[in-house]
Amino acid sequence: MLYRERMGRAARIALLAACGLVGTVAADAQTRTKFDLWQGLSGDLGERVNDVCKRFNESQTEFEIVCTSQGSYDAAVQNAIAAYRAKKQPTIVQVFDAGTLDLMLSGAFVPARQLMEENGYKVDWANYFPGISNYYATSKGVLLSFPFNSSTAMFYWNKDAFAKIGETAAPKTWEDVEVAAKKMKAAGMECPLAIDFDTWQWMEQFHAIHNLPIATRDNGYSGLDAELTINKTKFVDFVKYLKRAHVEGWAKIKTRATGATLGEAFASGDCQMTQFSIAGHGTIVKTSKPGMNWDVAMMPVYAGTERHNSLVGGASLWVLQGKSKDEYRGAAAFLAFIAKPESEEYWSTVTGYIPVTKTGFAAMQAKGFYDKPTYKGRELAIQSLTASEVGPLTRGVRLGGFLQIRKEVTDALEAIFSDKMTVEQGLAQAVERSNATLRRFEKTYAGKTLP
Amino acid sequence: MIERTPILNAVTHVILLSGVVLAVLPLWLVFVASTLTLAEVNAVPMPMLPGGAFWDNVAEAWSRARLETKLLNSLTMAIGVTIGKVVLAALTAFAIVFFQFRVRMIVFWGIFVTLMLPLEVRIVPTYAVAANVLSPYQTLLNAVRIGELWHWITGTELALEWNLLNSYTGLVLPLVATATGTFLYRQFFMTIPEELVESAKMDGAGPLRFMWDMLLPLSKTNMAALATIMFIYAWNQYLWPLLVTTDPSYETAVTALQRLTPMSASTGGGTPDWNVAMAAALLVMLPPLLLVIFMQRWFVRGLIAQDK
Amino acid sequence: MERRAVFKSRWLPYALIAPQVLLVFTFFYWPTGAALVWAFTLEQPWGGGSAFVGFDNFAAVFGDPLYWASVGRSVFFAASATTLAMGVALLLALFTDRQLSGYRAYRFVTIWPYAVAAPAAGLAFRFIFASEAGILAFLNQISPGLWNPSMNGNQAMLTIVVCYSWKYVSYNFIFLLAGLQAIPRALVEAGAMDGAGVLRRMRDIQLPLLQPTFFFLLVINLTESFVDSFGIVDIMTGGGPAKATNLMVYKIYFDGFKGLDYSGAAAQSIVLMVLVMALTFVQFRFIERRVHYR
Repeated sequence: MLYRERMGRAARIALLAACGLVGTVAADAQTRTKFDLWQGLSGDLGERVNDVCKRFNESQTEFEIVCTSQGSYDAAVQNAIAAYRAKKQPTIVQVFDAGTLDLMLSGAFVPARQLMEENGYKVDWANYFPGISNYYATSKGVLLSFPFNSSTAMFYWNKDAFAKIGETAAPKTWEDVEVAAKKMKAAGMECPLAIDFDTWQWMEQFHAIHNLPIATRDNGYSGLDAELTINKTKFVDFVKYLKRAHVEGWAKIKTRATGATLGEAFASGDCQMTQFSIAGHGTIVKTSKPGMNWDVAMMPVYAGTERHNSLVGGASLWVLQGKSKDEYRGAAAFLAFIAKPESEEYWSTVTGYIPVTKTGFAAMQAKGFYDKPTYKGRELAIQSLTASEVGPLTRGVRLGGFLQIRKEVTDALEAIFSDKMTVEQGLAQAVERSNATLRRFEKTYAGKTLP
Repeated sequence: MIERTPILNAVTHVILLSGVVLAVLPLWLVFVASTLTLAEVNAVPMPMLPGGAFWDNVAEAWSRARLETKLLNSLTMAIGVTIGKVVLAALTAFAIVFFQFRVRMIVFWGIFVTLMLPLEVRIVPTYAVAANVLSPYQTLLNAVRIGELWHWITGTELALEWNLLNSYTGLVLPLVATATGTFLYRQFFMTIPEELVESAKMDGAGPLRFMWDMLLPLSKTNMAALATIMFIYAWNQYLWPLLVTTDPSYETAVTALQRLTPMSASTGGGTPDWNVAMAAALLVMLPPLLLVIFMQRWFVRGLIAQDK
Repeated sequence: MERRAVFKSRWLPYALIAPQVLLVFTFFYWPTGAALVWAFTLEQPWGGGSAFVGFDNFAAVFGDPLYWASVGRSVFFAASATTLAMGVALLLALFTDRQLSGYRAYRFVTIWPYAVAAPAAGLAFRFIFASEAGILAFLNQISPGLWNPSMNGNQAMLTIVVCYSWKYVSYNFIFLLAGLQAIPRALVEAGAMDGAGVLRRMRDIQLPLLQPTFFFLLVINLTESFVDSFGIVDIMTGGGPAKATNLMVYKIYFDGFKGLDYSGAAAQSIVLMVLVMALTFVQFRFIERRVHYR
């Protein structure tokens, strides 16, 4: 009896399930041209990208973009590669900074300029901020992909803590930082400066704003035979500076393993200065301790150094080869749509990312976007990205196996800070191992030249 | 069985309770995180006691992840994988243990090796197979010139194609192709006394009858354990479903959960709404737990009727 | 395999194995073969071409002075994770099997960890192990700097061993429990009649009869801890600090999946597979001999 009852219930569930499936399949009628975008963001940001796609779909009736989050940047690239090789690729894929070079050398994409010209869009390419566009452009400055979620690193400082030591302005140099930090320490603050081992903000940005080479051959832009140079630049002194700060107790390491990342340590008011991406600005607004006064500033430089532009971070959108004409028309329409000033404003409103075009930025300024307390200070990111003319050392970093290289440097920093190696030893080892990666990459792409 | 062992009983409870604490502590943190507001979950250190935002977070997670169809997809996939494994592995192990045939050791080891290379390393070619399951066979046929022969006879191209992308078959089949189940059954079948087999043969039972009437009933608890593990294993799969399903109507719940999980902040974070992600994690965990409850009834003593 | 085969049929065994063999060939061997060919080439990830380089990739792997350290760490990780996961599971299973009051609840809860999805477990363990804000932070109040896995490699290793084992305890527990329940109750009762106490019966009756399951779990645990541990490393330590938790499989995952060095990852995969197969072979050759199947 019981048995039969149970079976009856199981059958009902199965029936319901079957109906549900038929329902979803039948609902799939379509008339618009569909095309895919695979993105690498997840969580709140992934949702925001989907919102952008929704806005595009609502703005016109000819195309329908289907945006699928692949959960992480690496999965997006990896899955796009797998799909591309099986000829099932999406039309557009979002690729993060370190994945750019492989794609550039692959011939698997439709260059940005070509796509827009073929589909009848007139784009003023000079309208993109050169500090952003050069990261995704050929060495001659021709843009290959579309800058999308873009950021740069900023210096975050706690105004209340500075008030306590009698200061009202953000430090401009690392010397100033040291003075302030020591005063804070003396005033009983536990963590004046928060640091971690992420190379993007501590190594890459440092080189750019000081106009120093990360690698030979113009940071790799002029050839695949580049070699890392970070153990020959002022970066060595900077690492020593940070190490000393750590030993003397006015800098604290804040990583996931210690319990709070840089942003979390800053938002909670535990740490008074740090530097990380402007994209985290909105998060600090939402999660900072109530009543805490804080602001962002451009990253400090060493005294006596002329400031150069900082580097962009984030990802860009690439259009892949092998899709139909209609899908390319759709892709072009979408990419034109997200470059509109109102789209840029929307994107910067719902995320911490910055506008990538001059007109977009100007329109937002004119509308008073940066006067609102929630967004105030974000305009400094643009100021930082445009602090100088973009030169051969501040266009970006174009190194093969860049993810492995970043990891080698992070490993070296960890070894240095835990006293396993001296600064010189650690950086020398990172350079040696990174150069092996670079040679391997060069051999893999033997016979190919950088565009 | 009545035995008086008060001290040992106390020790037993202490051991089991500490097991429970160890199992539950991380889960407690997940639960607490799911009851907090955004500011609370990002406080350092995070509170250890639940807050009041649980239902808000659950509602938010449910609507963001649109879990209703996804749970159903996950269920279909997990049931498919479980049944596939429990059945196929039993058949294979039965052949390997109870038959003498030439390739049985090769088959056993050949299946065993599947444990040794994670999907992450072979994603690109595995995807190619999923895009056309028959491509290996096409290649083999072409290698022995059957393609040309076919062309010569029929005048058409021999092009085998069976695309598994965006289908339940594609979600299930590759996950069935692993070794755990086969190995487990093999271990259990080896413990079956030979006399039992001999006596079955004496009664005139053929191999299939023997398997159905004797072996499978004896394997009940092991099967239940395998089914439980395989269901949860399949339920928690992430990378493969992500890869083969780009059509949202085939997405699974764990994939949706991963998409809700905040990014690491290396090049810019976005709101770290771990509270919502953890609420989703709890929701996604429920079906496997219900299954565990349901499967428990098969964890009973074998062979001899149990006493109470 | 010592069992005397008992049934004879020309076709039946082949029919029985056919479905699984077909699946394994199609979805494992074919793609794996394709991936492993890359070990002898330099493969461009987007498929732009590849050059045959013979054993260069292997030379690069073995020429790396830090590679052997990662092999050593992997072996240490596998040994400690397997011991911990199996030891705890065995203890819990044996005592749960006594079926004292409340054992159903114990059994239910002990299976939970296996059902927790990776991001949730990652977050939870982050709060437990965080050196400044976690549950273990009290250690630093006793003596500052006592607990700091972000700087101390051994402690980082400890965290990944514990997190990894946490999940596998429930995996092992459920199979051990099933194994225990398959032991005829009459045998245990006979032991009790002879005056053997609970612990004695565990040692003399249940443990020996559990050997086949135990052997199964040993092989699976060792294999998986070599092959399946990259996820937890990625969430918890990222291979750091200073490569202290850089296991072989994590490096494969990092180089191949994240860094797009397919050829390097393929060569390292072959090395790892050879190592795990050798280990498995040793286990079957030397340990299984002592397993009593009846």
